[in-house]
Amino acid sequence: MSQPLLEVRDLSRRFGGLLALDRVSLAVQPGEIFGLIGPNGAGKTTLFNLISGVTPPSSGAVLWRGAAITGQQPHRLNRLGLARTFQNLRLFEGLSVLDNLLVPLQRHPRTSTAAGVLNSASHRRAERQRLDTAWQLLEELGLSALAERQAGTLAYGDRRRLEMARALATRPALLLLDEPAAGLNPAEKDQLCELIGALRQRHQLTVMIIEHHVPLLMRLCDRLAVLDFGVRIALGTPEEVRRDPQVIEAYLGTGTGGNAS
Amino acid sequence: MIDNGLLVQMLLGALLGLSVYLPLAAGQLSLATPAFYAVGGTLAALLSTRWSALGATASGGFPVPSLLLELVLGGLLAGLLALLVGRLVLRLQGIYLAIATIALVEIVRVAILNLPFTGGAVGIFAIPQPFATAAGYLLPALALLALAGWVCQRLEGMPLGRAMAAIRDDELAARCMGIDTTGAKLTAFVLSAVLAGSTGALAAHFLNTWNARQGSFDASITTLAFVILGGSRTWLGPVVGGLLLTALPELLRPVGDVRLVLFGLVILLGPVLAPQGLITPGLLERLGRWGEGGKP
Repeated sequence: MSQPLLEVRDLSRRFGGLLALDRVSLAVQPGEIFGLIGPNGAGKTTLFNLISGVTPPSSGAVLWRGAAITGQQPHRLNRLGLARTFQNLRLFEGLSVLDNLLVPLQRHPRTSTAAGVLNSASHRRAERQRLDTAWQLLEELGLSALAERQAGTLAYGDRRRLEMARALATRPALLLLDEPAAGLNPAEKDQLCELIGALRQRHQLTVMIIEHHVPLLMRLCDRLAVLDFGVRIALGTPEEVRRDPQVIEAYLGTGTGGNAS
Repeated sequence: MIDNGLLVQMLLGALLGLSVYLPLAAGQLSLATPAFYAVGGTLAALLSTRWSALGATASGGFPVPSLLLELVLGGLLAGLLALLVGRLVLRLQGIYLAIATIALVEIVRVAILNLPFTGGAVGIFAIPQPFATAAGYLLPALALLALAGWVCQRLEGMPLGRAMAAIRDDELAARCMGIDTTGAKLTAFVLSAVLAGSTGALAAHFLNTWNARQGSFDASITTLAFVILGGSRTWLGPVVGGLLLTALPELLRPVGDVRLVLFGLVILLGPVLAPQGLITPGLLERLGRWGEGGKP
């Protein structure tokens, strides 16, 4: 197997007396769509928070293309090529839709603050490039008509897509999607599924996705990992995971409602 | 009713309003502006009265280029202090940052009061005058305000300003989008200090005397009121707030001691009647459309 893009080794996180993640290990290969499922409170979002640097791990290691990145600042990790969305949407609500994309685009291309204040030719050129990229992304995600709207006023589905566009604007190699289909109706879920596949192609993405809607994940993902009470109980192709007795027990045997939301 | 002296004071108020606005534009409630104002003013007062190379004359005159040099030096010293202090205090958020910056204001005030060379409680007096009348100060004050306003306006269309706005909305999301939020907050804090330091240097000459009371907790609250009344969503808000609230106590002078009550009422009712402040982006947009429509 080739070198994984992202690898977590024995990653644990303790919140007081609660062991939210218990020595989880997994590796994400370049180009794959990797699903993460599990009942509520299984530690899926905690894992995303550890990978994206939002929360430091209690122990264990995160490796990016084989090099340790454990405990680095979120903005450094993002600059390495790791972008995420949030389960409970964290847009820049007071800014316009377009500005929500121009914020992450500030590094593509980079310009100095002095050039910006003096409105130099290089700054103006960079701004045109940023605007072009922003409009392309809006076009791609079907948001161009909303460009001037304040992000906080958007409909729910549009906000979800804006969050994805904003993450894409940072030019990630790995996109972490935290429940992108939550709150969408079945038709919208289908569209989202196609969108994620298309985005992976066009942006050469590796995708890690948390989702409660199991059929969607089964269709979308190359491989899946199942978390239950902070422990990785299964890992494999959708078919393998579907037949895993531990997974069946976690979902059906305990009745914690894995299909909720 | 508004003489040149009051006009200069109003412009200085607008400058201090902008100084409070800059960190606030990045979501940081800093009340440190009076500390940096005091640092800049004290430096200018010391340099112009002690350092003869700047060219103060026996009759109390002062060359304008030396004043400009002091504006730069006052800004630099305040900026340097902000750089050192900011690394520490900007780890705090919200009200805790506000309290830490109030502490900074007090530390600077007590230091200026007790240092052996800053004149104690009396302060430094007979600061030489680059201009014969108050009207002379109008030009440098306006120029400084124009420069500060221009920088603030530029910020809105460039990465640093957008990063600041993003931090104000959601700092964690900004960090996850590759923004070095510590750096952006520190830059805003230093810019704020440079502006307050230069303003202090100009104010020291204009006021002719300078002492530790210039940078006090009262001033923290007054300058914050400029921003709250004027509005913190565009840089024009604090400018308008600074101009109005500096003029108001003077304009109310004829009504006697009731003026303080009226002044308090304005500060109280302002946020109640216009929670976003007087000047909001929406208002500017309407004005812009009206302006375009009004053209022949």
